[in-house]
Amino acid sequence: MTDASVPSSATPHEVLARLGDLTRRVRSAQRGTWFPLLLLGALTLGGILVSRLTFNVETLPCPASGPATGSDCTLIKQGSPIYWPVGLALAYAATAYFYIRRSRNRGVGTPVRPYVLTGIALVGLATATAFWILHQGPGQPGSRVDFWGLHLDPGSGVTMFLERLAGNAMAVGLPLLVLAWVERNRALLLLTVVYLAVELVPLTTGWAGIAVTSPWSELPCFGVPGMLLLLGALGFGLAELSGRRADSS
Amino acid sequence: MSKQSEQSKQTEQTPPADQHPVNGLDDVVHQRVRLGILTVAHQGRRVEFGFLRTALGLTAGNLSQHLAVLEKAELVRIEKGYEGKRARTWLSLTPAGGRALQDEVTQLKRLIRQIEQGSSDSES
Repeated sequence: MTDASVPSSATPHEVLARLGDLTRRVRSAQRGTWFPLLLLGALTLGGILVSRLTFNVETLPCPASGPATGSDCTLIKQGSPIYWPVGLALAYAATAYFYIRRSRNRGVGTPVRPYVLTGIALVGLATATAFWILHQGPGQPGSRVDFWGLHLDPGSGVTMFLERLAGNAMAVGLPLLVLAWVERNRALLLLTVVYLAVELVPLTTGWAGIAVTSPWSELPCFGVPGMLLLLGALGFGLAELSGRRADSS
Repeated sequence: MSKQSEQSKQTEQTPPADQHPVNGLDDVVHQRVRLGILTVAHQGRRVEFGFLRTALGLTAGNLSQHLAVLEKAELVRIEKGYEGKRARTWLSLTPAGGRALQDEVTQLKRLIRQIEQGSSDSES
């Protein structure tokens, strides 16, 4: 061997800079961020269709203790208890498969395991929460919501925030934060922060001229985050493509 | 025990703070290509021979020689196998390899600090 004992002739600054550059190239080869974003975006947009197809309006007598005693109250039911748990679990399983296959093709390991495990655990938690609420039976108009033993006023801001937090913000947003951390991906971190803000800030339908009782009332709740995830997928996909072209040229 | 593996064992102990950081650099680890191999293996967790060769811009023969040095010093683990009909060689860092890389980076940073302190002392 000609250079086995020849130490690096570069300065320590240059050696560290070279190691930093190598690390960046390996990270770039490991990333496949566009794929989970594409799946999650498509799944979120699919939620619009599921909400539309499961839309149901019931008229019930208002509770005796409420201010509208004796008159009829309208109860709107929307959404499937199966769509999100099954869809998200499949999305995480497909992401794991995609990263493992990519890792074999490219010849470099993948850091995706914490993302997938966190995702599946949080989907389990979100599903358990949804079934807990479902187990309590259909809420009577004006009655309190049982949220893991907490009897909350359904109209209060805290309840609505907890409901949003226990939904896609937890099952999609928190795993994306983990992915941003394991991939050391600042752009994904920024996208996830925006996504969480969109999921946690209440989106009303009034500005779009859609009434709360409309079958399309969930359109902005799923449409905005879904489009954000799809745009993210497009951006990361294009960035990966241009990076690969730059590496090969 | 060979000279190289003796040196690699030394990397598991960080030299005293009053010792010059140059004395803490291990020739087995500090060599340009081997430092690159350890860095890629650290970030990639498990890397394939072909990926390593492309990332470092080396010939297969040259890379094999450096890998043999690192394997002998027990800094990397090499697994050979097949994927379908294709022969594949995978490489991963041993715990000692991870510590050796960490020590090397620490010594390089100490060296930079000393150089910067020296140049600021001479300016004042």
